[in-house]
Amino acid sequence: MKTPLTNLVASSRKLALLTLGSLLLLTGGCSDTPSEGYSRGIYLLLDTSGTYTKELHKAQQLINYMLAILEPGDTFAVARIDSGSFSEKDIVAKVVLDSRPSMANKQKREFAAKIENFVSGIKSSAYTDISGGILQGVEYLNEAKVGKKTIMIYSDLKEELPEGYVRNFDLVLDGFTVQALNVTKLRADNQNPQEYLDRLTTWSEKVVEGGGNWSVINDLDKPEALTL
Amino acid sequence: MTMNTPFALDWSTYLVLLVGGTIILYLARQPAHRALKALFDGFYAALRLASKALQRSRLLLAERNRDVLLAQGREQAERDLEKEFFEINKFVQRDLGGYPHLQRQIQEQVAKIQDDCERSREVPIAEPDWLEAVESVASLKNGDKNAAVNSKILEQIHSSAIQQHKDTMATYRKESSARHSVLKAMTPYWRKLAYSVDEVGERLKEIVTRSQNIDTHMARFEDIIAGTDKAERALKASAITQFLIALLVIAVATGGAFFNFHLIALPMSEMVGSVQRIGGVKVADLAALVIICLEVTAGIFLLESLRITKLFPLIGSMDDRIRRTIMISAAVVLVVLASTEAALAFMRDQIAGDLSNLRASLAGLEAEAVTHGGVNEWIPLAANMTLGFILPLALTMVAIPLEYLLQTGRSVIGSLFEIVLSALATLLRMLAASARQMGKVVLSFYDLLIAAPLWIESMVIKHKKEREPIDSEHTRSEFSKTQGF
Repeated sequence: MKTPLTNLVASSRKLALLTLGSLLLLTGGCSDTPSEGYSRGIYLLLDTSGTYTKELHKAQQLINYMLAILEPGDTFAVARIDSGSFSEKDIVAKVVLDSRPSMANKQKREFAAKIENFVSGIKSSAYTDISGGILQGVEYLNEAKVGKKTIMIYSDLKEELPEGYVRNFDLVLDGFTVQALNVTKLRADNQNPQEYLDRLTTWSEKVVEGGGNWSVINDLDKPEALTL
Repeated sequence: MTMNTPFALDWSTYLVLLVGGTIILYLARQPAHRALKALFDGFYAALRLASKALQRSRLLLAERNRDVLLAQGREQAERDLEKEFFEINKFVQRDLGGYPHLQRQIQEQVAKIQDDCERSREVPIAEPDWLEAVESVASLKNGDKNAAVNSKILEQIHSSAIQQHKDTMATYRKESSARHSVLKAMTPYWRKLAYSVDEVGERLKEIVTRSQNIDTHMARFEDIIAGTDKAERALKASAITQFLIALLVIAVATGGAFFNFHLIALPMSEMVGSVQRIGGVKVADLAALVIICLEVTAGIFLLESLRITKLFPLIGSMDDRIRRTIMISAAVVLVVLASTEAALAFMRDQIAGDLSNLRASLAGLEAEAVTHGGVNEWIPLAANMTLGFILPLALTMVAIPLEYLLQTGRSVIGSLFEIVLSALATLLRMLAASARQMGKVVLSFYDLLIAAPLWIESMVIKHKKEREPIDSEHTRSEFSKTQGF
């Protein structure tokens, strides 16, 4: 939790940086560096499989929270996980927030409306292609050229692929943070918790081996848990 | 017991190494002593040299600080004296310039009072005319006929005397009344005269006070010119106090600037965007900072052109017309920037309100929409706009403490450097002394390592010395025998 002192220190640092920046500006020794290094990109995957559809209303609150904390210049996309998620068609809504705060607010409102429509008219899918969704997210965020790339997976992490779908590739996740949100326990997990733990371990290994950072957040009531 | 390591040695090897090492150390004692002594003496000399160099630098810095301090003090004293002389000149021109008029007024008053005194003088009453007639009647011879005539004459004299007495009294009363009215008319003149005299007295008191002030400043000025320690101490104390006060005010002003920055940074992002960055800082933030810097600069120019500060002596010494132009330009820029900030503060309120509504709607609080036009809305808006207008104007005053900070900073920071140099010089001297002692300790430790051979050596020398007298005696006896003594 930020104390007033840390706020003061951070603000003072900011002011010092600003003064330095203005000096650079005045001396003409600066260049207009691109802002990609500072913007954030979030790709949220929503599990729409039969067992998980009822959790989507909670996901909507999460999306609204994310919209509230995002700033101009940030990129945000929400995609569903269905039988074959490696497709642009699965992206429900995406936005690059405008540099002007008023326009960014307008975009956020439109985004929230799209999500509302999606959640109210959701149809559950038969299979769960999480790997395809992650791959799509990696491609999307790499194209967006954002500074901080985060893929959020709102799912129980149980992957079920249709026949003929192959997903045994290595993920390249350098510079990515992958967060598994609200990983619910299935009935089978209750009978054998090892299955749940194995599932988490499998995904963790996959992400870490790909060069990414892995974390699991099940308590979404803590705002600091979702700090980007 | 031996260890199973590649470097494991048994005790006999240790012993051989110990003895061998000791012998080598003993044999190399003198060169080793010389080398160690040279090394530590070198350290000692180098540290002493560095300490002396620092001490010399400190003295030079102290001298320079003293010169700076005295020069600043002299300048300040000159300024104070100039101000006092200006004030006294203004006072003389304004108050004592009217002194001839006042003197004329007093003379007129005195002349009027003299006239009135003359007019109020009492004129002696003339002797009655009938006194001679009474004497003539009194000298007549007494007789019946004469007595009757005398009586008649006396009665007539009596009646005329009474009549004359009445006339005289009437005249006297009339003249007394006229004199009293003249004397009464003199009262306001007296009062005016007294007031004029009091006024002159007060003004003279003012002159005395001001001349005392000039004396004080002059004494200080002379002390500074003479470069006395007392003057230096006083100036140093004054400089430190002024520096701290200026620093405090600058800190407060920085707080104000920081607040001002936050007031306009958000609306600036609406104007120039908040995505682009320069050197990691948002362009909007930089733009806000530039506006604040411009305000401060305009404020500095305004105060310079008003001759309140002397950060740029060139502006102060400019022609009055150009100076006035700079003053008006700076004031206009300042007002325009302040008005812009007020507008930005309004915009900030609108953006913050929009963001707040968005967050409320995202949290599902549309039903609890905030009522528009309430006190909760317009008071912060008015406060934001007022602060947006006032803060830039208040920031202009930062030029005054800034000038003090820069002026006093030279001597205060110089004094701090002086202390640091002195501390470093002392530290180096301590290190030099430590190096010398360390050299002695190392030599002693060396000797401790070869204590056994040294002991043997001392024993041999002792034995040799004991044998020396016997040998010399024996030699002498042999010599005597050979010489045939």
